[in-house]
Amino acid sequence: MTPLYLYALLGTAPPPGRWRGLRGEPLRFVRVAGLVLAAGPMSRAPGPSLNTLRRHDAVVRRLAGAVPAVLPARFGALVTDRAALAELIAPQAATLRRALAQVAGREQMTLRLYGSARRGEVNEAAVPLPAGPGTRYLASRGAATLRAQPDLARLRRTLAGLVRAERIEPSQTPPLLGSVYHLVDRGQRRAYQRALRRVTCQLADLRVVPSGPWTPYAFAPEPGG
Amino acid sequence: MKRATRMKRVRPRRRSERRRLAARDQSLLDLVDNVLSKGVVVSGELLLGLANVDLIYLRLTALLCAADRVSPAARGWRGGRAALTR
Repeated sequence: MTPLYLYALLGTAPPPGRWRGLRGEPLRFVRVAGLVLAAGPMSRAPGPSLNTLRRHDAVVRRLAGAVPAVLPARFGALVTDRAALAELIAPQAATLRRALAQVAGREQMTLRLYGSARRGEVNEAAVPLPAGPGTRYLASRGAATLRAQPDLARLRRTLAGLVRAERIEPSQTPPLLGSVYHLVDRGQRRAYQRALRRVTCQLADLRVVPSGPWTPYAFAPEPGG
Repeated sequence: MKRATRMKRVRPRRRSERRRLAARDQSLLDLVDNVLSKGVVVSGELLLGLANVDLIYLRLTALLCAADRVSPAARGWRGGRAALTR
């Protein structure tokens, strides 16, 4: 049996159509524990080239245009068959359903924060994920430190009315201080960008580089999180 | 006078070029960040279909390098052959 390459988890199956994956393979919509998984038959996971990353993202974007709730899969997720997919997803089904409900009708905006941090202020607390409870504690402490930065506090206050959920990740590589991921209602992008433009010209120490809208990659549950 | 006119034409073009390049770099950063390091993981990092997560990042470092930043260390991932020439 051909392995399945996973693109996304969906709240509902998209309308029938010519759904194709990154290699042109026909997509299958597999139902597992009340979730719909968009996957394509593929013997090997694609290599991480810029072209394949773009194609993966394009497939996920097309799906997001057709259904209200999409949780993109991380690039490279290949499972041996349908049964293996069900076995992996079923234990996480409740968490994934909650995450799907959170992203329904919403999209992600990303803010990269650049500036100068005092030594040890942010970066020593920044740790990579996935990780155990202690590491996650340190990561959350790093995010709290970044959140207390006056410019970021001002920015968050300004955008609060438009933001439905937020993730803050400190960075370990200055001058990037961290990234802020916002979940906003679809159709609110322009209002978000207007509010952002208003506040960014008032910031003293932060340079903010926005991008989006993205499908909500940053709002997928972390393993063990 | 003629020279001043020419300068006026060139400057905005350079600025817009810089903006376009910066936007493209940012878009690449976001693409890599989102697609590779975010999203649903169905069964830990081993199911990424590539043996080692660090390897992915190493390869992408080379992929995203500008031509004038390619060093001997960065060329190593292609088996010692020069990835790009100036």
